[in-house]
Amino acid sequence: MKKSSFPAVLSTAILLYLFWLLITGQIVSIFRGDFSVQVLIAGVIVSLLVAVFSARFFIHEKAFYLWNPMRLINLLLYALIIFPIELVKANVDVAIRALKPSLPVNPGIVKVPVDVKSEYAQSMVANSITLTPGTITMDITEEDGQTNYYIHWIDVATQDPKEAGDAIKGTLEKWTRRIWE
Amino acid sequence: MRIAIDILIGISVFFAFAGVVGMLRMPDSFCRMQSSTNISTLGVLGVIIGGILYAAFFLGDAGMAVKLAGMGLFYIITSPISGHAICKGAYKHGVRPEKEMVCDKYGEDMVEEE
Repeated sequence: MKKSSFPAVLSTAILLYLFWLLITGQIVSIFRGDFSVQVLIAGVIVSLLVAVFSARFFIHEKAFYLWNPMRLINLLLYALIIFPIELVKANVDVAIRALKPSLPVNPGIVKVPVDVKSEYAQSMVANSITLTPGTITMDITEEDGQTNYYIHWIDVATQDPKEAGDAIKGTLEKWTRRIWE
Repeated sequence: MRIAIDILIGISVFFAFAGVVGMLRMPDSFCRMQSSTNISTLGVLGVIIGGILYAAFFLGDAGMAVKLAGMGLFYIITSPISGHAICKGAYKHGVRPEKEMVCDKYGEDMVEEE
């Protein structure tokens, strides 16, 4: 476990403070102009304190990476438009499979290479795959500098690693690379 | 607006139903996991988005809407992790499907390591 640096703590504290504003409801009050100074100052103290202890679990690479506006816009686009579309498509597909009388499943575990370098991007792709119905990431391994996912797939269309990768995570990986690299 | 909320909740109820039917009908535990993600994505998200709209437009409670959005966010972050952990744990523990899988690269590679 690395020691936490000052930029990492600051970056975590900013994120925590945003959550504090959201959860206490102060973000609405600021726009209305009736915010309470006490709550805002307490938020600063609490989020700094929590950030000191938790930054080393949260940030391992460059601290202010995601505060870049272009990356934030890409992240929002991904989270609000690109990923939900994939999600709805896969949901409809799996629901139809489950409700069809013949139960057309064809399960198997495929090995798929991933070409994203950063830790965050890897876990983001893996979580997106798991969140999509029909595919679950079972393990991530690294051999000879090439990261591989083992993915349980409900309908194995192809066993070729490249084609399976494109079918499962083509769009997701492209967008994740745009966010993190 | 009321109609939009009803449609959202109706959609999520349908997907939750499909997920439960899938869980009962799928042949093995890994496929059941797949079907359960059906419930945990559109099933839950539809209800949460419907709840956000209801809280914002009918109750006029912005704080409640923001809290619901936070619930949705943390749900999205945590649910794939538990799904992955259950699936991997089941496989490592020796659960195997009754019906033969099309291909099992994970098992092959695990045998090679040993």
